[in-house]
Amino acid sequence: MQARRRWAVLLTALFFGVAHGKHEQCLACHGPDGNSLTARIPSIAAQPRLFMENQLVLIREGLRPSPEMFPFVKDLTDAEIVALAKQISALPAKPTQSSPEDPALLKRGAELGRKLRCRSCHLPDYGGQNQIPRLAAQREDWLEPVMQEFRDKPRPGGDTLMAAVLYGVSDADIRALAHFLSRSSAPAPGR
Amino acid sequence: MKTMVALAVTAAFVLAPALAQDKPAPPPAWKQGMPDKMKDSKLAPHAGKMTETPASDIPISKARLPKGFKAEVWASGLPGGRAMALSPDGKKVYVGTRAIGRVYEVSDEGGKRSVRVVVDKLTQPAGVAFHKDALYVFAIDKVLRFDGIADSSGAQPVDLTEKFNLPKEQHHNWKYVAFGPDGKLYVPFGAPCNICEPPKEYAQIRRYNADGSGMEVIARGVRNSVGFDWHPKTGQLWFTDHGRDWMGDNGPQDELNRLTKVGQNFGFPYCHANGIVDADFKKKDACKGVTRPVALMGPHAANMGVKFYTGKMFPAEYRNTMFVARKGSWNRTTPSGFDVVNVRIGEDGKATVRPFMTGFNESKDSYKFWGRPAYVQQMPDGALLVSDEQLGAIYRVSYGK
Repeated sequence: MQARRRWAVLLTALFFGVAHGKHEQCLACHGPDGNSLTARIPSIAAQPRLFMENQLVLIREGLRPSPEMFPFVKDLTDAEIVALAKQISALPAKPTQSSPEDPALLKRGAELGRKLRCRSCHLPDYGGQNQIPRLAAQREDWLEPVMQEFRDKPRPGGDTLMAAVLYGVSDADIRALAHFLSRSSAPAPGR
Repeated sequence: MKTMVALAVTAAFVLAPALAQDKPAPPPAWKQGMPDKMKDSKLAPHAGKMTETPASDIPISKARLPKGFKAEVWASGLPGGRAMALSPDGKKVYVGTRAIGRVYEVSDEGGKRSVRVVVDKLTQPAGVAFHKDALYVFAIDKVLRFDGIADSSGAQPVDLTEKFNLPKEQHHNWKYVAFGPDGKLYVPFGAPCNICEPPKEYAQIRRYNADGSGMEVIARGVRNSVGFDWHPKTGQLWFTDHGRDWMGDNGPQDELNRLTKVGQNFGFPYCHANGIVDADFKKKDACKGVTRPVALMGPHAANMGVKFYTGKMFPAEYRNTMFVARKGSWNRTTPSGFDVVNVRIGEDGKATVRPFMTGFNESKDSYKFWGRPAYVQQMPDGALLVSDEQLGAIYRVSYGK
């Protein structure tokens, strides 16, 4: 299943890549306007420019392992990465909900956001800044596994501080956070 | 408050049991020790840059130096480049990094420089040092030795990790490393927190034989030293140490220390700078037996690389004085550091600190910096290299025509 999905992602992206520039190549998977329509693929519109640059470099260098992304990123030059990050960070974010709303989860998620002090780095609107990503209006089915991964399998190049924040947080609480964050209003692009 | 800090430290750095659902989560390491009145503070570490900056985009003309000195871009395209190690023949400079995981080699090819990546995908390989013809690379969790690297681009590393018994915490455990006049390898192990009572392997400087044997702790109570050098005449070790955060804009200041006896205690976490007692970790007679700094080096200024100048290019008054790169503050409402200072030690042993290379931050009152000087390296001709970790560049400071 995983392998089949990977192939589908690769083929789609390669098709678009041949037909268009690199920016379009990203949007083939991450949504036509940078807001993902596909499960477990993140929205990249309105992500802070520096966050995008850093992640593309980390994936290219193999410090953030991503078999899906690596083929597209491996030959990018720094100048291309800078240009891509600039284009994509300027795209407006849109909500991308992937589950029916659950008021209890929403409430718990909002509480956790304060309690875990997520807002101090990701900012009170969860829009991110500089090297820190936007969480608001991100896909729920992306946020949940990524937070679990930070908690369970911190990787080289990953932010050790983020791993420390999620240390000991339960699966249920991670689900509530993902549910809440995905429903927070999409912030304006250009950070 | 103390309980909260202690809790946070325990949770973040010791293998604590899973947190109960209604307990507050540990703040990230850089926020530990933050008092309640500062909890809405927007101060946060500055973001680094992991992509190349072309030489044409580096505003080196904004750097200010004393009369007769000039600065030029010597090398660029080394994102995250910080500590530098000069090959024995003086022709190649090896440069460590943190997040981007690379070590660069810069070759001087008659007027222009080329850059290649020697090794990559390491966890913060910040430490680089030469011993005879071998380059040592220290990542947080790995030690590699490249024999004869300056003569052979294909030199394969020897993995020495097991010999050095590196502890596992990562925060403040990126390294500056150097070989002393005694032929031993000096390695700092920072406190894995902003402020805490660290486990016994941390908050110290150690030395080892070149093969990793004979480990000896030579200084304790050292929060986070990432720069040191030996006085050209006395042979004593001088090192910088970063002061803790969240005790206000004005301190405790960074320290410039001198080790006069093996095993000295420099005060962390109970006693800072010139005898400032810690706000969170109290102890009776907190400063008793603590070796005081030779000089206070500015609040939150991030004092990094240290080198005694022994070259002949600069005026004689600079001989055996010290250059210290101060990468610049974040935990302070107005900027401090963002420069290279010159430290002179008088006959009475007192140090005077004066500005040398300035202009990296363009405002006295706010953070408008273009570069962050991190390390200095003297070249065979007496010129001084200054690495800029923000723009991934190395500047050459020279004197005269």
